[in-house]
Amino acid sequence: MSEEKERQKPRISRRQFLTYTLAGTAGFLGSTMLYPMVRFAVDPMLKKGAASEFVDVAAVDEITTTPKSFQVNVKVVDGWYKPEEGQTLTAWVMKQDNGEILALSPICKHLGCTVTWEGSPEHSNEFFCFCHNGRYTKEGINVPGTPPNAPLDEYETKIENGRLLLGPIKKRGV
Amino acid sequence: MEKKQDGNEKKVHYVGDSRVRRDGKKLQPKDYSEFPGKTDPFFPNYLLKEWMVAAVFLVGFMALVLTQAPPLGDLADPTNTDFLPVPDWYFLFLYQLLKFEWAAGKFVVIGTLVIPGIVFTALLLAPWLDRSPERRPTRRPIASGLMILALIAITALTWTAQDEYKKNLAERGGGQEGGEDVELVAEDDPGYEIYKANQTCLSCHGEQLQGGAAGPSLLGVGGRLSAEEIENVINNGRGAMPAGAFQGTEEEKQKLIEWLAKQK
Amino acid sequence: MIRKMYDWLDQRLDITPIWRDVADHEVPEHVNPAHHFSAFIYCFGGLTFFVIVIQFLSGMFLSLYYVPDIKHAHASVEYLQNEIAFGSIVRGMHHWGASVAIVMLFLHTLRVFFTGAYKHPREFNWVVGMLLFFVVLGLGFTGYLLPWDNKAYFATKVGIEIAASVPFVGEHIATFLQGGDMVGATTLTRFFALHVFFLPGALLALLGAHFILIRRQGISGPL
Repeated sequence: MSEEKERQKPRISRRQFLTYTLAGTAGFLGSTMLYPMVRFAVDPMLKKGAASEFVDVAAVDEITTTPKSFQVNVKVVDGWYKPEEGQTLTAWVMKQDNGEILALSPICKHLGCTVTWEGSPEHSNEFFCFCHNGRYTKEGINVPGTPPNAPLDEYETKIENGRLLLGPIKKRGV
Repeated sequence: MEKKQDGNEKKVHYVGDSRVRRDGKKLQPKDYSEFPGKTDPFFPNYLLKEWMVAAVFLVGFMALVLTQAPPLGDLADPTNTDFLPVPDWYFLFLYQLLKFEWAAGKFVVIGTLVIPGIVFTALLLAPWLDRSPERRPTRRPIASGLMILALIAITALTWTAQDEYKKNLAERGGGQEGGEDVELVAEDDPGYEIYKANQTCLSCHGEQLQGGAAGPSLLGVGGRLSAEEIENVINNGRGAMPAGAFQGTEEEKQKLIEWLAKQK
Repeated sequence: MIRKMYDWLDQRLDITPIWRDVADHEVPEHVNPAHHFSAFIYCFGGLTFFVIVIQFLSGMFLSLYYVPDIKHAHASVEYLQNEIAFGSIVRGMHHWGASVAIVMLFLHTLRVFFTGAYKHPREFNWVVGMLLFFVVLGLGFTGYLLPWDNKAYFATKVGIEIAASVPFVGEHIATFLQGGDMVGATTLTRFFALHVFFLPGALLALLGAHFILIRRQGISGPL
């Protein structure tokens, strides 16, 4: 009978069937063991960059159109360490003409010195870096022809209940 | 794969003392039994000789260990912006490669990926790139030449990196380690008032001389430099510090130098 | 007595052929420094293995005192080096051994290259050797951070920045190596795990393959 013939001539041999089953079992054993471990190891890559908290800096009323320097105490999270004291950073905060608040990082983009508002009497209404006479406009854009080759970094800002909060530092597009 | 179930295998010829079969048309390395000479059994004759070499080596190694204490720097301080980073010596050549203009900035991929990638892939695949049966280095000039070139390049890069590092270190006054233990002294000196009044100094070296993002710590500077040397640095600059950074009268400058020289 | 114990074991496990194969194979004259002094270049491989044994042992003993945590790593290294008898020697063996291992590995690789010993039929053993080279460099890179001093911290930071400059995946590699978004507590534990478990495991497996292949294929003939 044709049915019997089918049974006599199976598509795969018993030995092949066992080999495939063995390979399948090996795959199951391996992946079940390793999946949690690999997921465990790569977790930092998949975790969204710990959104740094916003820190209270000053009342919005204090912000004028003239840049003023404020101390920011940023919380740093390093694994299971969350130091209470945090890290003290400085920000130059001002109100722009359109009413929005701009908070600039004072780290010069040339060699990392600290810039000051109207630091040089010859260049009023500009940020000035003492080290190599780097200059930035009030908006923190580098003045062409001076050493820095990028605008100052800015803090993310947020206003809550009339208080200004500063968030993580971000680079600005040229 | 052959199965050895029939029990009467053909007589197999191996290459040398190996388990590689001689038959087949591929060219085999010369079999050393074809050369006149003595062989030693591995155990104990040869192993003894090898361990003698190991003993000489170990004496030298322990002499190094006993005379050179392993270095341990200060506790890592992420806020220390003054530290000159340097990798361990065997990575120096890679590090130096990134200082070339064509391997930095926009082209950093060339330095970090393309060149090391090509070199290491070539090294990994050397047996398939250099397929001639010749083994003597003089008879395969391309392979030997490329390797010698690579060796010269690595040596030169490592040497330059080391040299530049030493120069940079000297430029910073050598205060790479242990600067934090020194305290600010003579705080009521008029020199300190002058220092604090000068934004140029403060913005880099910090209010307490602790250093900052751009300038090194000046704590203990009087121990490293004489008053004349300090004056020279203030007048002519050094490293990232521009010449004529101090903005004040000559008299004030002298007071400042006097005060800095007291920082020991 | 020992003889009897051996016979008892051999009867059950048939261990004689295993060690006989290793012990009785003939070593040719051209690699034997007793016959030709220039044959000392054939010792670099064995010496590399010897240094790696030193690294394994000294590393195991260092871990008796070492703590992989940013708050304690530096203090524990300082303690084991200065307060424990022979501390600076054991740490010195591990520290200098790392450099010496790389020097020896380098010399061994050059010997194999210039004597053309990687050619047919030993291609695959060359590849295994190159992988060993990468693993040892990885051990050097991860081990350098463990004392958590300024040198270690900043060297690692630079190394990770270099890795981060790789296009597309660079940032992911950096995050993976750091175990977070900065070089900190999680980086130290990660490097410790790599240095003490993952890479030595790979090293042992590759070393085993390296030695089995040498025994199977024999030493290449004289030039």
